[in-house]
Amino acid sequence: MSVRARVDDVWLGGPLWSPIPGLKNEQRFTNNNQLQALQVIQLIQMRHLRQINVEIDMTEIPLEQHIAPGGEQMTVRDLASCPPPERWHDWVEYDAKAWPRKVERHYAIIPTICFNCEAACGLMAYVDKETGRVKKFEGNPYHPGSRGRNCAKGPATINQVNDPERILYPLKRGGKRGEGKWERTTWDEVLDTFAAKIRAAIVEDRRDEVMYHVGRPGHDGYMERVLGAWGVDGHNSHTNVCSSSARFGYQIWCGMDRPSPDHANARFILLISSHLETGHYFNPQAQRIIEGKMKGAKLAVMDPRLSNTASMADYWLPTWPGSETAVLLAMARILLVENLYNHDYMRRWVNWQQYLASEHPIEPQTFNHFISILLDLYAGYTPSFAAHESGLQEKTIIDIARQIGHAGTAFAAHTWRAATAGNLGGWQVARALWFLSVLTGSIGTIGGTAPNAWNKFVPAPFLKPGPSEVWNELLYPPEYPLANYEMSILLPYFLKEGRGKLAAYFTRVYNPVWTNPDGTAWIEMLTNEQQIELHAALTPVWSETAWYADYVLPMGVGSERHDLMSQETHAARWIGFRQPVLRVYKERNGEPIEYTYQANPGEVWEEDEFWIELSWRIDPDGSLGIRKYFESPYRPGHKLAIEEYYRWIFENSVPGLPEAAAQEQLSPLEYMRTYGSFEIPVDKAPVFTLNERELKSKDLEGTRVDKLSGTIKREGAPVGVTIDGRAYEGFPTPSRKLEFYSSTLKEWGWPEYAIPSYIQSHVHRDTMNHDMGEYLLIPTFRLPTLIHTRSGNAKWLYEISNANPVWIHPVDAERIRVQTGDLIRVTTEIGYFVNRVWITEGIRPGIVACSHHLGRWRLETGQGTDRWASSLVELAKVDDGIWRMHQLEGIQPFASDDPDSSRIFWREGGVHQNLTFPVHPDPVSGMHCWHQKVTVELAHQKDAYGDVYVDTKKAHMVYQDWLGMTRPQTLRPDGLRRPLWMIRPYRPAARVFKRD
Amino acid sequence: MTKYAFVIDQRKCIGCHACTVACKAEHDVPIGVYRTWVKYIEKGEFPNSRRYFLVNRCNHCDNAPCVSICPTKALYKREDGIVDFDSSRCIGCKSCMQACPYDALYIDPYTHTAAKCNYCAHRTEVGIEPACVVVCPERAIIAGDLQNPASEIASIVAREPVRTRKPEQGTGPNVYYLGAEEAAINPEIAVEELPHMTMWSTLLHPYQNDAQELDRSQSLRTLKTINQLKPYTPLESQPRVPTEARIVYDTPKNAAPWGWKVSAYLGTKSIGAGVTVVAAFVLVLYGLNGTLSSAMFNLLGIGAPVIGGLFIALTLVLLITDLKRPDRALFLLLKPNPTSWLVWGSYIIGFFGLVEAAWFISGLFGLTDVLLWLVIPAMLFGAAVAGYTAFLFGQAEGRDFWQSPLLLPTLLVQAIIAGASALELLAWPLHIGSAVSTSLAIIMLIAILLHIFLIMIEVFGSHSNSHVATAAHYMRKGRIKDIFWGLFIALGSLLPSAMLCIALIGSETQPALLAFAGLLALIGIFAYEHCFVTAGQIVPLS
Repeated sequence: MSVRARVDDVWLGGPLWSPIPGLKNEQRFTNNNQLQALQVIQLIQMRHLRQINVEIDMTEIPLEQHIAPGGEQMTVRDLASCPPPERWHDWVEYDAKAWPRKVERHYAIIPTICFNCEAACGLMAYVDKETGRVKKFEGNPYHPGSRGRNCAKGPATINQVNDPERILYPLKRGGKRGEGKWERTTWDEVLDTFAAKIRAAIVEDRRDEVMYHVGRPGHDGYMERVLGAWGVDGHNSHTNVCSSSARFGYQIWCGMDRPSPDHANARFILLISSHLETGHYFNPQAQRIIEGKMKGAKLAVMDPRLSNTASMADYWLPTWPGSETAVLLAMARILLVENLYNHDYMRRWVNWQQYLASEHPIEPQTFNHFISILLDLYAGYTPSFAAHESGLQEKTIIDIARQIGHAGTAFAAHTWRAATAGNLGGWQVARALWFLSVLTGSIGTIGGTAPNAWNKFVPAPFLKPGPSEVWNELLYPPEYPLANYEMSILLPYFLKEGRGKLAAYFTRVYNPVWTNPDGTAWIEMLTNEQQIELHAALTPVWSETAWYADYVLPMGVGSERHDLMSQETHAARWIGFRQPVLRVYKERNGEPIEYTYQANPGEVWEEDEFWIELSWRIDPDGSLGIRKYFESPYRPGHKLAIEEYYRWIFENSVPGLPEAAAQEQLSPLEYMRTYGSFEIPVDKAPVFTLNERELKSKDLEGTRVDKLSGTIKREGAPVGVTIDGRAYEGFPTPSRKLEFYSSTLKEWGWPEYAIPSYIQSHVHRDTMNHDMGEYLLIPTFRLPTLIHTRSGNAKWLYEISNANPVWIHPVDAERIRVQTGDLIRVTTEIGYFVNRVWITEGIRPGIVACSHHLGRWRLETGQGTDRWASSLVELAKVDDGIWRMHQLEGIQPFASDDPDSSRIFWREGGVHQNLTFPVHPDPVSGMHCWHQKVTVELAHQKDAYGDVYVDTKKAHMVYQDWLGMTRPQTLRPDGLRRPLWMIRPYRPAARVFKRD
Repeated sequence: MTKYAFVIDQRKCIGCHACTVACKAEHDVPIGVYRTWVKYIEKGEFPNSRRYFLVNRCNHCDNAPCVSICPTKALYKREDGIVDFDSSRCIGCKSCMQACPYDALYIDPYTHTAAKCNYCAHRTEVGIEPACVVVCPERAIIAGDLQNPASEIASIVAREPVRTRKPEQGTGPNVYYLGAEEAAINPEIAVEELPHMTMWSTLLHPYQNDAQELDRSQSLRTLKTINQLKPYTPLESQPRVPTEARIVYDTPKNAAPWGWKVSAYLGTKSIGAGVTVVAAFVLVLYGLNGTLSSAMFNLLGIGAPVIGGLFIALTLVLLITDLKRPDRALFLLLKPNPTSWLVWGSYIIGFFGLVEAAWFISGLFGLTDVLLWLVIPAMLFGAAVAGYTAFLFGQAEGRDFWQSPLLLPTLLVQAIIAGASALELLAWPLHIGSAVSTSLAIIMLIAILLHIFLIMIEVFGSHSNSHVATAAHYMRKGRIKDIFWGLFIALGSLLPSAMLCIALIGSETQPALLAFAGLLALIGIFAYEHCFVTAGQIVPLS
């Protein structure tokens, strides 16, 4: 009796090939290793490699094994999804344009990683061997996250490569900042200028004056290493206009700050996000959500706006923004009351002992008593209360709660920006959602939701610098000790208040003038040479911010740079390797390339090399101790070649990669260059319920166990937890358990928020009087086709979506007396904008919504934000503190190398909103709370499409109001600036957590 | 035998437009035109509202009407079922766009030739799936061989409740939808609230600078307001019915492929053919029994062929200049497709031209006998020239309004009106005798009344389907109603009828009055052709 598995290439007449490491083209399995055969089959199925035929004699295998984990039946396909990899070096395809004449085109297929969102999906560049240019991008079937498939933004990468508007050379400003007089300069000049400036700051111990401010990072760990090597505390990010609120809600529970749902295997999926069109991580997660749905999972989506995701859901829950916490806690209460929660999981993993000991010390210290207290605590969260707050129906709330309870450990949930990013106290939304995962015991289970760190793999580079010895209060000011990320949006105010200055400021793929609230404050900051002495914008494309820089430094798009990325797209761990494809192509053909810019168009650099060069020039003789981090690990004393950086990682830090490469007679680097990604074998890096990993006796050496809580500590630092007599790794929280009760929040000034509770949003429905024209504006929703503010160089994306009318419900439209297409004026606390109306049944009455991508502007005809996407505007401070923007010309066709540019048919490029928003930093999480209370009215007589008006004095007042809501912790006896256990993207030494 | 088809699983489709962009990348499709695209529909009242998506593209029909109508075999059906095209043969006549009920074709703005989804035949040829299939995040697009029982597509089509777009057209479409919403699949259900605006785009057509293509008033309210960035003022505000299905995202639509040149061609052709037929008829009436007066000879022997030839030449000029590739006009003769009425039409016009030339020569040299021998071919070819268009429009399967059985008699009657009118106009300066004028007047009057009768049946009679009803309604009450009622009915039909009656009843001949009636009748013909061509293209195909 034997089982025979055969993996075939469908390529007729082509040689057989073996995509699975260790599996030969044909392999016989005896009875003894039948299990192995099943594993191989499963592995094939899991990878969804569509281009292989599997012919398996399954007479010995039970029938149900034929079904792949994704629920898709194995079928014999007559067409393949992609060329077989052994032909990637010379793939012959017919020219689509010449067809039906058979004109052969020879391509080299080189994998890379998409840079058009953070999901890091795989792409394969087709390099035309005749022209030496990239012809197109398709999916990489070897990529475990994206599995060969992409969203619209992936194939649009070719637009970005060929964009006639792209910046090809480094530019230096001629006149004043923002005057728009650009001159071409040399990279040498750029590097020397910045090296001198940064070196001086380091030598003179002004190490908080160097700042790297990143929008889309696109890599894991590289910049943290560079900044660490420099010894500065200068990592700033966009996160507090994005996800820091959701992150805080997750972190306060489990010490990890993102969710990673296993949608594909869930029975019930609850999203407070729009992952079927956008979101972290749109394409990989959308694949798995629909996969789960096709297998029978129910999908519920909370969103006041009918997103495409809500459209695909079994339940659309159009909650009033900010009321989500109330609904989720009502559901939690139903799980408790109806006994649908996971007793054992709660008893073992929730820090109830700590809660009882701290808050109810004289009551019985038992789990049952904890539950009875919980019932009391949440008694007020009745379905009718939640229904009143949210506008949902009671029975829907009850129904969904029960379904969640029945889904049990197969309950997958996700929130990211959405409600958490819109509302004051939005972090409680994430916290309440995670509460449901805790109640169902679905954390890190099959079909449940894992913390990100369990499904992500960040390999360590060689020679990691130690933590810096500086604390930059511009990033983590005393008012926001718990801010999950840097207080990025407050930088202009802090500088204005004299809290510091910046000697060297890098904005990188970051457009705060456009993106951040109160953008005119950013313009004022960026044009002030006392506050910012030197500013370089590192960007692949023009942005409104780059306009105000001293240097605009063109950086490669997704196919023109190296990066290593890993994301928690599903229950697995993988790495993806972004490559400069033309460089790889040329090197394969024997062309020596020292720097990627030599292969890229013009003088477009890749950042990795920029930072190496810059670091060498900061410390040319190595005396500052910086240079050593940028020396080759293979050629001592020589400058690090970028290939060596990644080679070292692949050879030393990725478990299983060297073995997999060896099986294909490749070096680890060659393997990654060929396949572009690698999935860490599960035996080397497990992905489920890692909290249950037991500590071995050697892990326990030198530790002490806290009797009451069971927390195992070494030198005061928690390392594990004892439950029912066994020692587990637990979660990276102070208690090593899931912290229902956060002593951190209590100790750091927010005792009322020590447990998950409902915070009324700043845009609570009671504050709106619709008859007075007051509405809630959702200004943040994303479109499936655009890339935040980086789509201007992708014509096929703008062709699909190019305007952002304000969505409004018919009832409200009638009240305001507007029809679709009419102009309205939307007035915020500090100004107004004028846009068109789009009437839809896809939005909750009382709420208006406007997508955030559109309304790009440029200030001059010839230069600035891509003409595919931007209107020509006049933007000026017209009066004392008053800024006005007026569109002089909408989007117009223009002449260029690309004939399509003369055929642009969209005229209105949308309306900019963010300038009219004041900052709303949440006093706890530090997140900018995006939602706005606005007045909506018919446009005034002289209002024109795209008009923007801002009163900066009012903006400053709003800033002060919100600052006033904080509870600074400057008088703590322990002198800490921030809880030691809380993560920071770039973490200084523990010593500097303490104020001097 | 292989038969490639698509399954589009709308239960999985998330409306992400990846297929659209991947297709653009594969074929370098210019902006403004699409080989595959996604339409969004919204239905229901809050909170029971939903958005539906539909992926549109060529249906690779078993009986592809675009293939039959294509005059140069630029479109063809491959053995594996793919409807492919060869742009090097295309003359840009746009008839395929009229023939396709699925709106699958467009004219490439750079090559000026027709293009559409060709199932990535250049990829299937090397064993790789179409680009849209590979990119789809949800595997909602499934490609494969329907005839292979082991294929995924064969099992889905066999077992699942799939449906196709417009099966009633009898085209045998091969794009099978799963879980598609009716309002998304049937373009006549969902309303367009503001045609040049969607939930996230403004749609102005790239051809807007091309005068001919600008004739798309049917589907747009106003363009200039947007260009000037001024507030929008609705021209025709429609009451909103919230429960109706609404189109909330769509790509810019093809402008009506046939504009004023085609309307004018119908008019000039009627004159050319009609003059000859009527002249031949009159010749038979008066010429067989004796010698013709010189005035009559000038009218029938020389004037008629000159006018007929001139207008046929004008017809050819209009036809050729309406081609997107006029330089390839000769392909009609060199690469003809025998199933296309465009080809037969050009042959008919060609032979008709020869008859006209012979007629003219005979007239010039006074060869009366030859002239009489030419009467029969002239009447036959004249009728063919006037009538073949009924078969050409009949091949335009996408336009149900043009499929009317009354089209052939209507065209013949129009030719007679046009012919008689033109001869009346000519008769006045030539001082032709009252007998002929009266005969012409009687012919004209009968034809006009018959024409009105035919059109009334067309416009007010029962309609075979909603497409026809919509087009007829548009003629009666839509944007072109003034042209229909004012120019065609009142000015171009009733007024000349009245004038003809007056002239016929009156004792004296009134050549000027008859000539004027002829002029008005001709205006009526042109006005009606405009209405007919426009209304036929008003109904959205996708």
